[in-house]
Amino acid sequence: MSKVLGISAHYHDSAAALLVDGELVAAVQEERLSRHKNDAAFPVGAIEHCLDRAGLEPQQLDAVVFYEKPMLKFERILTMALREWPRTFSSFPRAMKSTLGEKLWVKGLIKSWLGVPSSKILFTEHHRGHAAAAFLTAPTKEAAILTADGVGEWATLSVGRGKRAPDKTEVDILREIRFPHSLGMLYSTFTAFLGFQVNEGEYKVMGLASYGTPKYADEVRKVVRRTDDGAFQLDMSFFEYHTTAKRSFSKRFIDVFGPPRAPWEPLDPTGDEGRRHADIAASVQHVLEEILVDMCKRLHDETKLPDLCLGGGVALNGVCNARILRESGFERVFVPPAPGDAGCALGAALLVDRVHFGNPDRLFPDHPYWGPDMEPDELARLAREDGLALVEMGSDAELFAHLARELHGGKIVGWMDGRTELGPRALGNRSILSAPHTAEQRDRLNRSIKFREEFRPFAPAVPTEHASKYFDLPPGGHRLARFMSGVFPVREEHQSSLAAVTHVDGTARVQTVERDLSPRFHALLEAYGKQSGIPVLLNTSFNLAGEPIVNRAVEGYSTFRRCGIDLLVAGRYVVTKERAADRPADADAKEAAA
Amino acid sequence: MVRPPLLTYGFAHCGDELTQQRTPVHLRARGLDTLLRPVHRWVWADPHRRAHKLLRFAETEADGGRDIARAAELTGDGVLRRLYLRHAIDELRHADLFRTRGRQMLATLPRQDAAGEANWFAPGERGLDDLTVEREKDDTLLAFLHLSERAAALRFALYREVLTHDPETREVFEGILRDEAFHMSYTRKQLERVSRRHGLRLWTARLHRLWKVYLRFATAFASVMGAVILTVQYFVVLPIFALAAKRSARREARGWTLVAGKEPPTFTGQYG
Repeated sequence: MSKVLGISAHYHDSAAALLVDGELVAAVQEERLSRHKNDAAFPVGAIEHCLDRAGLEPQQLDAVVFYEKPMLKFERILTMALREWPRTFSSFPRAMKSTLGEKLWVKGLIKSWLGVPSSKILFTEHHRGHAAAAFLTAPTKEAAILTADGVGEWATLSVGRGKRAPDKTEVDILREIRFPHSLGMLYSTFTAFLGFQVNEGEYKVMGLASYGTPKYADEVRKVVRRTDDGAFQLDMSFFEYHTTAKRSFSKRFIDVFGPPRAPWEPLDPTGDEGRRHADIAASVQHVLEEILVDMCKRLHDETKLPDLCLGGGVALNGVCNARILRESGFERVFVPPAPGDAGCALGAALLVDRVHFGNPDRLFPDHPYWGPDMEPDELARLAREDGLALVEMGSDAELFAHLARELHGGKIVGWMDGRTELGPRALGNRSILSAPHTAEQRDRLNRSIKFREEFRPFAPAVPTEHASKYFDLPPGGHRLARFMSGVFPVREEHQSSLAAVTHVDGTARVQTVERDLSPRFHALLEAYGKQSGIPVLLNTSFNLAGEPIVNRAVEGYSTFRRCGIDLLVAGRYVVTKERAADRPADADAKEAAA
Repeated sequence: MVRPPLLTYGFAHCGDELTQQRTPVHLRARGLDTLLRPVHRWVWADPHRRAHKLLRFAETEADGGRDIARAAELTGDGVLRRLYLRHAIDELRHADLFRTRGRQMLATLPRQDAAGEANWFAPGERGLDDLTVEREKDDTLLAFLHLSERAAALRFALYREVLTHDPETREVFEGILRDEAFHMSYTRKQLERVSRRHGLRLWTARLHRLWKVYLRFATAFASVMGAVILTVQYFVVLPIFALAAKRSARREARGWTLVAGKEPPTFTGQYG
């Protein structure tokens, strides 16, 4: 029986994943446990959770796999410092201190934390980890693979193919594009230019793009040029990310695109300056799609395979994914729930299990729920202690009918069920749910719960059997929407009744919910459909700005108490903010004064 | 008047009777801060600097709020949980007040880069940035919070004093000070409730804060020394290698790098 632990750490979204006898037991991002958003620290909490879940001690592991090759990464950092000498003089000390401080000594770090011998510590290449996470978790036997992110060791984009047979698994990279030429870095540079936080604000650029027209597409095409072999190359005179950590774009970039937006400046896409920002966002989005669609077309022509697996952070761009599905020639496009670095922990473990150890291929359970479980009794205890109104419903059917009524009446629900999702999206186990019908409801969510920019869209969740009625899904669209990985048009006749989830360009990042995937969430959607006539709910991640998605009941409860969520649900318990009948009205004040 | 947005979204459930009890506070800066008053006056005189400091305070308050919310999630004491949650909401509201005022000011000022905050002279509120909530017990955390809130309140009182020329920003500090006074008071009372040796806890927390100041200084000093040594190496040792690297970069092919057909990477090596 093989036991393989995969780890990703040190850059963003550290995570751990544990395979026992080829089956995934647990996978969780460190941020969900440490409560630090995008936590990049060595994932001690995540490792501990995975081992606890399997009842294992670290010494019982057959292999611990790190998701990239630290020395190869160091080579890239050093080489870039040398190539750009002397412009790198300010970034060099910083890069060396950071790398030599901890990031280079991964083997020692794993040994000291877990006490496993060196011979059990393995390493995969970063993009191969992405490729494995995308391919080996998808329900396909053979597929083309494309991975794209900021940068791994040297590769920033790679294409390959995967093949699964009972006796042999292959995940092969055919060719790659190397740093500093990177679509991820291109998009992140525009993210920074538009005043958003890199590795966090890319969603905002995508959302903002819908308000603009790609007027600057020609300028962006000068920044990123296609090469004769179908790849691309960045004109590095527009960038500074390869020479300094202070700013990613150069003066030339500003000369072409105008002054950058400061993070504190208000962004109104209908004003003059806001429109310029939206046009720039639309332009980079347009060019990104153009390049990736073309690369995927070529990959399809080359491999002649019907399936494509996408991995890496760029695969979180749902607008681009939907275009790839429509235009590349692939019949099905698979994007895992965690295509970014967190998913690499799982990819690395799968790669070692299937390829290095040569263990037989197994069907991978097609869901994202691999984290810690919900404990509804904990919520009941907290609510009782704090004197809040708590109701335990007699049955699931009663619960769903009650919630459907409340949601239809405009209430906002914090919904916690089962195990935490792996990846950045709440897919029905740690979600804030609301009626999707009016723009006022969307604004209320933005103002009193999510505290975020008004131009950002919310996503709808719909039972898969009803999805095509409300959304214009192309063939293969249901699959792409399974983990909210595609953005598709809302049917025109339903746009007004789905105003809270219809973006300005008439699209939505829809999640199709299958009964098998999430039975309780599916049943709730159906109940809401019976109540309102439309089985669609607004589904947004259960967190406040700057915080990771909630994990345990107490974190959901704390979030509920600090924002405008009306009802909190775990198991069959429903908590509201009304005082319980037996709690005196002045109890809080007395407590503080005591 | 700066809008207090969070209060408009129905937080009565969180115990707004606490807010109603709050009265104006008469805190005044003491000790070194009094001597440094001219420096603070200079720091706060420049509107750009003032606006950027407010935005930075907003981040600090939001971070502090998250730490206190985490403390609420971790404590087993129901009373503390409810008070921490109330406190966390206050911090979130403070962040919003600072952010709104900072943005309001910047909107009326000519565009300028966010440089020159002069933090070395007037470091402002450090918040709870060096606090690991998970490692603290209820009593040590309360002692730490009490001292932090007290330091912040005294500092905010000083800012209020030097902001005579900007009544709107002054009003923001005035409002926040009321909350800070409440935070100071509840943390002290709760510390006395949960620990019989609360005096000792406070002294330990004071020493701990001093240790943290030393560590911060030592880390900064080590970082500067490291940067100096590495920069010297950069200019003395690296040029020859840089030349070679530049030459090899020029020979590098454009576009795709072929991987297929090469030796497959091993899983044991960290390099290839």
